[in-house]
Amino acid sequence: MGAISMLESLSLEGKTVVVTGGGTGLGRAMVRDMARAGADLVIAGRRTGPIEEAAAEAESLGVKAISVATDVTDSAQVANLMKTCLQQFGKIDVLLNNAGAVSDNVRKPIWDLTDEEWDRIMRVNLTGAFYCSREVSQTMVAQEHGKIINVASGFGLRGGREIYMYCVSKGGMIQLSRVLSFNLARYGITANTIVPGFVPTGATDSMAASLPRGGEFLPNGKLGKSEDFGPLAVYLASAASDYMTGEMFIADGGGLAAGITPTGHAPVVALEA
Amino acid sequence: MPVLPEYDLSGKTAILATSGGKEAPFWGQALVEAGASVFAVARTQALLDAVLKSLPSSSNGAVMDANLPDSAKHVMAQFDQSHDKVDILVNDARSMYAQPLEEISADDWDAVQTRNAKAPFLLSQQVLPRMAKAEFGRVVNMISELAERGMINGSAFAASQAAVLALTRSFAVEWSRFNIRINAIGTGLIDTEGQSLETQQEELLVRYTPLRRKGNPSDIGPLLVYLCSESCDYSTGQPVYIDGGLNAHP
Repeated sequence: MGAISMLESLSLEGKTVVVTGGGTGLGRAMVRDMARAGADLVIAGRRTGPIEEAAAEAESLGVKAISVATDVTDSAQVANLMKTCLQQFGKIDVLLNNAGAVSDNVRKPIWDLTDEEWDRIMRVNLTGAFYCSREVSQTMVAQEHGKIINVASGFGLRGGREIYMYCVSKGGMIQLSRVLSFNLARYGITANTIVPGFVPTGATDSMAASLPRGGEFLPNGKLGKSEDFGPLAVYLASAASDYMTGEMFIADGGGLAAGITPTGHAPVVALEA
Repeated sequence: MPVLPEYDLSGKTAILATSGGKEAPFWGQALVEAGASVFAVARTQALLDAVLKSLPSSSNGAVMDANLPDSAKHVMAQFDQSHDKVDILVNDARSMYAQPLEEISADDWDAVQTRNAKAPFLLSQQVLPRMAKAEFGRVVNMISELAERGMINGSAFAASQAAVLALTRSFAVEWSRFNIRINAIGTGLIDTEGQSLETQQEELLVRYTPLRRKGNPSDIGPLLVYLCSESCDYSTGQPVYIDGGLNAHP
């Protein structure tokens, strides 16, 4: 692209982005493209190996990147994550709440779910995003700008067979964005939600087993890739999306658009007399 | 400023169709800036001239009156004289109309539905099979968020916007398998005249908008470009609203 006035806003040069769950899967792909778009990155995750690799990869793309081992269900660790970002970069332009539990989501009839099973997924998928959003809020208010991006799921808008906590927590993420957007707009802060459909990653194998075939059930005819979410995350992290807040950006192969109709359902009915 | 090459539309040919309003020239500009060549389609000669003025001088276009039989076929015949493929279709289907219910004539109702819903339907009917044959296509329908909300005096217009949203979903389910992606951009208030913030905030609806300003075309252009790009591969059949937070308002 040549000299561009309208599209330069898609650059992330000079921006500092905190990504939770940034070592693997969608988070890793989003980190990579945000680095390519010029963002400095603070990459959080429970395990040090993947986030260190992600930071090294980002640095190899010419930006500054650090990794901070963080369990987002522990608010003290979340406070440390944001403090480390501020010490290193002096600001937090974007928070990407991507951390989430998929592989250890327990699938059982509701009568067999324990208090601990419910609490664990709700804490990882929803409470962690609340802790992170709360922690950056006053920094972003003082900066008079900031973007919070939450990663939900198509299951946040529909029911899943014996997928209780995942559906409820991801629905909560969509609502978290709406409430944040409504209350923080006056401070120049936006909040939006990425709603991925099914995307095979190392963490989703347990769910893949219950889905028919390899994506033929979707209008697109194929499953998503982690890489599909890089340019989308860059758009939502960039000034190009400054007027969007409280919204969902759904990328699900057309699953939600089809919704009630099973694959291949194609009735033909003539105009009634 | 590093901008991801994934948003590049170089080599792509776009049909940009407008049913009204002042914004289509800016969408043309965004598509051209991203590298696409644009063929303009408009409901009137005046609308067409406004879009063509925003495009490189070599660009051309056609007037389409969806009331006339075979209007979309005639447009495509004109398109074919200078282009050999269509990669992108943008329908700006937001010709505004607001009247109290008892004052909406049957003719006005028909006109609103024809320019906003029938025209995109007819064009899509021509373009989607071509895209399917080429195994690539991106369609973006520009609609108002009144597709999902009610507004006093907005019934006829809102119905036309909801119709285009329904077309977006149905076409996506029917045609996405051919590497075609069909999405919508839902807009709130947009200022094309560079109004000052003070002037904007004299309007009640602007003060009600959580971000307390109108959008401007450069708030929308990059989203349009992304949805038209090859990198937008997993989204289809969905509206993306960009409206200053109005949808999240209680």
